[in-house]
Amino acid sequence: MNAYVEECRREWKRLGVPPGLAEEMGAELEADLAEAEADGVSAAEMLGESDPRRFAATWARERGLVAEGSPRKSRKGLWIVVAVVFVLMVFFVVALSGLALATGGGSNASVRVGTPVRIKPVTVPNLIGLGVCKAIRVADRANISVSAPQGSPCDAVVVGQRPAPRVVVPANAKNAVVTVKLRRPGG
Amino acid sequence: MQRMASESRRSQMLRGVLDLCLLAVVLDEPAYGYEMTKRLREQGLSTVGEGSIYPLLGRLERDGLVATHRAASDGGPPRKYYRASPSGRRALAEGIRAWRDVRGEVDSVLASIEAEVA
Repeated sequence: MNAYVEECRREWKRLGVPPGLAEEMGAELEADLAEAEADGVSAAEMLGESDPRRFAATWARERGLVAEGSPRKSRKGLWIVVAVVFVLMVFFVVALSGLALATGGGSNASVRVGTPVRIKPVTVPNLIGLGVCKAIRVADRANISVSAPQGSPCDAVVVGQRPAPRVVVPANAKNAVVTVKLRRPGG
Repeated sequence: MQRMASESRRSQMLRGVLDLCLLAVVLDEPAYGYEMTKRLREQGLSTVGEGSIYPLLGRLERDGLVATHRAASDGGPPRKYYRASPSGRRALAEGIRAWRDVRGEVDSVLASIEAEVA
């Protein structure tokens, strides 16, 4: 049996050429080479290709029996894709870890790196002259707390306040508390 | 060196028209692979060049330009015979027209310096 043809058969098998078609091509080549040799024509002269594997692959590809790239090349491509995905995953994990460290870590990280909470400023209302209970209601509508001496009666009148009226302060800051000075009735 | 370059050029030029030559030798009478190379040789095309006719026959078969059948040969094993299909005949006619156009155009450029080369 011709060694060249045998090498071709092995290559077709490796490339996944259907066995029936590989056998048909092998038989065709074998018969032609035998006749050529009888005529004194060498295989190399007739085929013009000394590498049987390359010849077999080219023939199978031209017949549309295998894809353009060989399986070996496809596997190589697959490995490249796997490597790229792995590198991207490592990069992602490292980036995520760095971000967690930079923001203090833990579950609070997402709060810290999120959009900062905007503190809406408020204007301190004028409480002077109001009864303390009314002053508390007015201040409450402006999101401001009133700090007054405990047990002050409602009819105690505000005679002073800090911060002063019309001062703009952050709503949730400590100074969003207005400390008032009262004058008790009859005092 | 120069001879190698010359053979390479010949091989490249042949590659573009070898399918037409194969279709031509099985236009009227089917033939198996080696028989086709003999017909080419008989008509003056002795060296096909690098590569062989088999991949080309494979492409012609895939494209439906040749029809094939297996038949017993004279005393030998059954052979795969090729013949030009109707599509192959049309492709051959178009290819011959294109070849003649190109040959004429190239000749018109090269003819004037032919004497100097000779």
